[in-house]
Amino acid sequence: MDSCVNEPTPTETAPAAPNPLRSLPDGTEFAALYEEHSKAVYYLALRFLCDPQKAEDVTHDVFLKVYRKLGEFRGESSIRTWLYRITINHCQNLKQSWASRNLVTTADDTVWNTTAAPAESPLRVLETKELGERIQKALDELTEEYRLLLLLVADEELSYEEVAALTEQTADAVRGKLHRARKAFAVQFAKTA
Amino acid sequence: MKQESKHRPQEQHQLSHSASQQSAMREFASTEELLRHDAAQTDVPPAIAERLTQSIAKLPQKPQSWWQRWLKR
Repeated sequence: MDSCVNEPTPTETAPAAPNPLRSLPDGTEFAALYEEHSKAVYYLALRFLCDPQKAEDVTHDVFLKVYRKLGEFRGESSIRTWLYRITINHCQNLKQSWASRNLVTTADDTVWNTTAAPAESPLRVLETKELGERIQKALDELTEEYRLLLLLVADEELSYEEVAALTEQTADAVRGKLHRARKAFAVQFAKTA
Repeated sequence: MKQESKHRPQEQHQLSHSASQQSAMREFASTEELLRHDAAQTDVPPAIAERLTQSIAKLPQKPQSWWQRWLKR
């Protein structure tokens, strides 16, 4: 459970490869959408599920669904909100299906070998690794609702109203719960030191 | 996008976080700031875009309308 953090790979100093989605016949717009939002989707899935492989699967599935359904997007919410809604549904479905099984994380070192990270000093790498582990441990101790609220509110692109819509409650309820969620996180985070 | 600030300092727990390693002390003013930092450090595995490209390429083509087929004749 403590390996839900990106580690750099030996290829991290190489220039970023062109997005293969741009090679698709009508892929330019979709590639731009992916480039703008994939990080938010992946991060939410990673910290919500604490499983890098599952987070990859979720990100893939969410964007595949978006590719197929983009024409049906009516613009009643922002694209980011729409993506988050699909991501949350997908993650919750996965969690429900795991609940009846003996859940063991599949995370191991090989998972991170496919993960690229920007160039960092060795000290920075250590810092990031430990911090990510501590954050994940603290989040894991929270209720699913608090975890989700904190992750969504941390996204500056979302308003309270959008977070409220995504979590199916009022903005006032979000504010109230958020206060408690922050406290709970701070307590759990302190325990990881 | 944001309609109001979600990050009122007086409401928030002041979190002081050591990011390990004696010389790498880093402080975050709020949980959200800490999570944003964590998100910024987390990169999307490039394998996802590769896989997505392959999956999209395998999707069945949408059927052409009669006039598109007629124009191709």
